[in-house]
Amino acid sequence: MANINIDSIKECTFDAIVIGSGISGGWATKELCEKGLRTLVLERGRDVKHVKDYPTTNMYPYEFEHRLEMSYEDKQKNPIANRCYAYREDSQHFFVKDDEHPYIQEKEFDWIRGYQVGGKSLLWARQVQRWSDFDFEGPARDGFAVDWPIRYRDLAPWYDHVERFIGVAGNRDGVAELPDGAFLPSYPLNAVEDHFKRVVASKYANRHVVSARCAHLSQPAPIHLEQGRVQCQNRVLCQRGCPFGGYFSSNASTLPWAEKTGNMTLRPFSVVESILYDEQRGKAVGVRVIDANTKEATEFYSRVIFVNASTLNSNLILLNSISSRFPNGLGNDNGLLGKYIGFHSYTAVISGEYEGELEYRTDGRNPAGGGYIPRFRNIYKQETDFLRGWAATFNANRNPYTDTSGVGASLKDQLLHPKLGNWRVGSHMMGETIPKESNKVWLDAIKKDQWGVPLLHIDVAYDDNDWKIRTDYFEQMTAMFEAAGFQNIKTRNDDRRPGNDIHEMGGVRMGHDPQTSLLNKWNQLHTCENVFVTDGACMTSTATQNPSLTYMALTARAVDYAFTLMKKGVL
Amino acid sequence: MQRRTAVKQLFFIAGGIVLFPSCWGGANEASIALRKLHINAEQENLLAEIVESIIPETDSPGGRALHLHLFVLKMIDDCHSEEDQQVFVQGLKDWDQEMNNFVGKSYLTEIEKDKAHPLFGFFMMTKRRTIQGYLNSEYVMRNKVIYELVPGRYNGYAKV
Repeated sequence: MANINIDSIKECTFDAIVIGSGISGGWATKELCEKGLRTLVLERGRDVKHVKDYPTTNMYPYEFEHRLEMSYEDKQKNPIANRCYAYREDSQHFFVKDDEHPYIQEKEFDWIRGYQVGGKSLLWARQVQRWSDFDFEGPARDGFAVDWPIRYRDLAPWYDHVERFIGVAGNRDGVAELPDGAFLPSYPLNAVEDHFKRVVASKYANRHVVSARCAHLSQPAPIHLEQGRVQCQNRVLCQRGCPFGGYFSSNASTLPWAEKTGNMTLRPFSVVESILYDEQRGKAVGVRVIDANTKEATEFYSRVIFVNASTLNSNLILLNSISSRFPNGLGNDNGLLGKYIGFHSYTAVISGEYEGELEYRTDGRNPAGGGYIPRFRNIYKQETDFLRGWAATFNANRNPYTDTSGVGASLKDQLLHPKLGNWRVGSHMMGETIPKESNKVWLDAIKKDQWGVPLLHIDVAYDDNDWKIRTDYFEQMTAMFEAAGFQNIKTRNDDRRPGNDIHEMGGVRMGHDPQTSLLNKWNQLHTCENVFVTDGACMTSTATQNPSLTYMALTARAVDYAFTLMKKGVL
Repeated sequence: MQRRTAVKQLFFIAGGIVLFPSCWGGANEASIALRKLHINAEQENLLAEIVESIIPETDSPGGRALHLHLFVLKMIDDCHSEEDQQVFVQGLKDWDQEMNNFVGKSYLTEIEKDKAHPLFGFFMMTKRRTIQGYLNSEYVMRNKVIYELVPGRYNGYAKV
């Protein structure tokens, strides 16, 4: 019997465990496996194999029962998922349905989730911008949250490392607040986007319109072909999963790469209930997993644990990891675990028309989506009555429009002969939010889900700073649109709830001081050194950039550090 | 009854839009399986005529040949609220009784212009779904306004 037990423990023991297979979990897995570590990846959802499990990827619109529209019944049943722009008939199988995984909203919060191998890396908007020191130094300069324990120079080589592997299309724009990277050729701006770029550059000293940087293979390098990925074919049907591997996802890239090393064990349907802490040894020894289907509990053991369950779920797992040493959650001596949640405010849009550059139109589709305006407010000094600021998208299109008036042969003729009108231009705001103690999550004392895991309370809201930023966005963008000669300019409040930006961050923030933060500068729990949190939960502040690239870079950096400690025998 | 269900399912499995022979069992029912709407064969036929008037056959197929009336039924059945569905079914009934199946183009144009017209709600719903079905039909996407699944290019300065 004793031998059997030893064997079964051996079978359940790995060098490293990664909780979650999404964009950061995939990176942790790849890096750990490449270093020769036997790695167990735990994913709570089903497996999704690249291409094979993309059932809708090659379907024409007319092959969808409702031409991509969700049914009335589904909208009633799943209002949260339905409020996500990408949730449609072609992608709904990659989204969590509301009633499958309940949570408790203290205030309205749309928690958009993708529980499957690859997580939301199948669904993301693929925009990737580096942070600069204007972002890392924000909290210290402006007196909110805590100082980031790292600066741009710490992360720069890891941004390079990640960008080379995932493939990022972009220009070297030479903008200090948006550092350049290791880029593939960009997707150039179109005629009217270029026009706007010229006007903004001539009128404003520190405002820039650049080609949006995106994780698409505009021109694959050997490292991408080696992953089995080829050039992006401009389908812009990414949310279905891409048969070309044209955009980066865990499924197309990091996970198959890790698998090739022979060191990866991927275990779908594995709900991590908690991290196991050994009081004697003073460190984490493994995780407790509930089988999603059978509800059976199993334990797995390892020397290091990477927590990449997605921001709020990583918070949840740590909060649920209770021991005598950590009665309030793993690493939570200061009571700050679950607090200082941040996100991005996507609450404003502006649109207009342009009656110029009419000798041009666009042909094909732009996977980058158009242009990007990096934050220009409060960069070098505080200059407004709000903290931080906003970045924005900018895009122009001249998609043919169809006159649907009347009936009969004339209508039919109109439908079959769409017309080129004026250009239409548009932008949406991406505002930085200030992490606050009052924006927080915690576990319900009684209510549990069907796997016995406590339900999460989410208490996150906008604040006055967010509304001031919005007002500024409307004023400044209107002025910029007018300067460019755009007409019929319309500003619109976007009433989306926090969470609908799908950029939730924080709760397990990094910092210098164990009294005021949970993680050190290597993403290690201050008080439990073999546990690393490298997804959005680690974020001290939010900046305005789309965050996934930074999660990936932080993850690769943390794995490198963990491996150094393991070699030294410290971990 | 059981046999009938089985055969219905068979048609379903055959895929695409479910279409039954017009001589189907002589039963006065719609030719596709609907979950919520109660539509009889005459009403379905009337809808086909309305749809055909919206998008008539010219040198290319019209609404009826492209089965757009069945698409309208499918969408109203699955993607609309109960209130909408009531307006729709009532519209078909009223049309049947008051208009004696008249679906002339001038009459449709009249309804479209008059928001107070009792059939306005019904008509606009039907028209919107007809146009959607037409533009998203295999016929149009393959032969007329071509939909490219794999463009493989982007040009932001294409000459008009």
